[in-house]
Amino acid sequence: MLKTRIIPCLDVIKNKVVKGVNFKNIKVMGNAIEMAKFYSETGADELCMLDINASYQNRKTFIKTVESIAKVINIPLTVGGGVSDLSDITNLLNAGADKVSINSAAVKKPNLVKKASLVHGSQCIVVAIDAKRLKGNFRVVIKGGREVTTKKLINWALFVQRLGAGEILLTSMDTDGVQEGFDAEMLRSITAKLTIPVIASGGVGKLEHFYKGHQTKSTGLLAASVFHSGKYTIKQVKRFLDKKGVPVRI
Amino acid sequence: MKKKIIGLVDGQSGNIGSIKKAIKDIIRKKPYQLKIIQSQFDPNQFSKIILPGQGAYTTLVSNLKKLKIYNSLKIYLKNNFPYLGICVGMQILSDVGYEDKATKGLGIVHGEVKKFEKKNLIIPHMGWNSLKVNKEDKILTPAFNEKDFYFVHSYIFQEAKRSDVLATTKYGKNFPSVVKKGNIYGVQFHPEKSHKNGLKLIKNFILNS
Repeated sequence: MLKTRIIPCLDVIKNKVVKGVNFKNIKVMGNAIEMAKFYSETGADELCMLDINASYQNRKTFIKTVESIAKVINIPLTVGGGVSDLSDITNLLNAGADKVSINSAAVKKPNLVKKASLVHGSQCIVVAIDAKRLKGNFRVVIKGGREVTTKKLINWALFVQRLGAGEILLTSMDTDGVQEGFDAEMLRSITAKLTIPVIASGGVGKLEHFYKGHQTKSTGLLAASVFHSGKYTIKQVKRFLDKKGVPVRI
Repeated sequence: MKKKIIGLVDGQSGNIGSIKKAIKDIIRKKPYQLKIIQSQFDPNQFSKIILPGQGAYTTLVSNLKKLKIYNSLKIYLKNNFPYLGICVGMQILSDVGYEDKATKGLGIVHGEVKKFEKKNLIIPHMGWNSLKVNKEDKILTPAFNEKDFYFVHSYIFQEAKRSDVLATTKYGKNFPSVVKKGNIYGVQFHPEKSHKNGLKLIKNFILNS
């Protein structure tokens, strides 16, 4: 039986894992390579890392970090943040990423999703979508939540699926950072219609939240601070889910 | 002592970085050396060949032909020399693949590669899933039964002969996840991404098969 994936997410600047609320009060949580290795060895099913400050200067160090991480883990690695063209995707895959996630660039030039999945295969193209509630709809937002687009979430998700996305990583801006659980309503609105896998992101604070995330038919559950802070280990989460009857890799 | 040569085929179908790393770790301080195969080769030169693949059947077959690897590989396989095909590297062992268009495969393991048929199934089949070991083997010991491996694929090996299937995995229905013909193996999952169990399988292939 296919297992629900537990995916720690590393927000990275250069080679440091950071935590920041809306890019303010950025706090260093640890060394990215050490943390990646730790998660790989303690039961993470996949690892996600995002370059949250993808400036030209920081990029080189970030790519080197991806290379170092790929060398010390043997689980799949998804890398995103600042991906704006085909060469960014190729560079990350060459550095050792198994999947690359595209966010704002997909909205600006959807053709990138199509081209990337034709060149590299759908299986390594993740479209990351950030969304929030606006006037009774879920709307796609870009630039880390600063710009609300006119796109409705469900239409956009179906569109990128048609373009060749292999997976969708959905972050709810309404629940992200609040630690009161994934946005079940938002997640269900797309898992009900899509045929590709969905990774839930944004809002985990308690063990129960992972279970509720699983119930949305998301096949991957992503979390950051509950793991980085040491509040829960991946094993604890998996044991909890296993007891609830959710298939997990133990 | 002369070192045995492990060949890793770069069919320009996805990243070979992790499998390369896995092989290097396994053969460290052992009488083996690793060579990357990027063009035609002497089939007698290699004691083992591993071919990882991602993406499409058609693309991999045409890449191998373009790089002039295809014919050498075919001779290597006809000689029943040890081979491990990963994901699409397993699928192309079949007679034919129906991805984009019908593409002739290497025809080593009887069967055809088709898309998952069942409705309401999330495709690609992505994530960790377990093996049901049907037949014990040097590389697939009973210890692998019910162990999880990382899969990512939309197409499966079908119409395989029962005797060629070492293990199956259930997603919608049971499909062959490990096939074998003589010294030739194919695995649908990615052992190089499957943590300890995956590395153990690669190690078994290199050192024990």
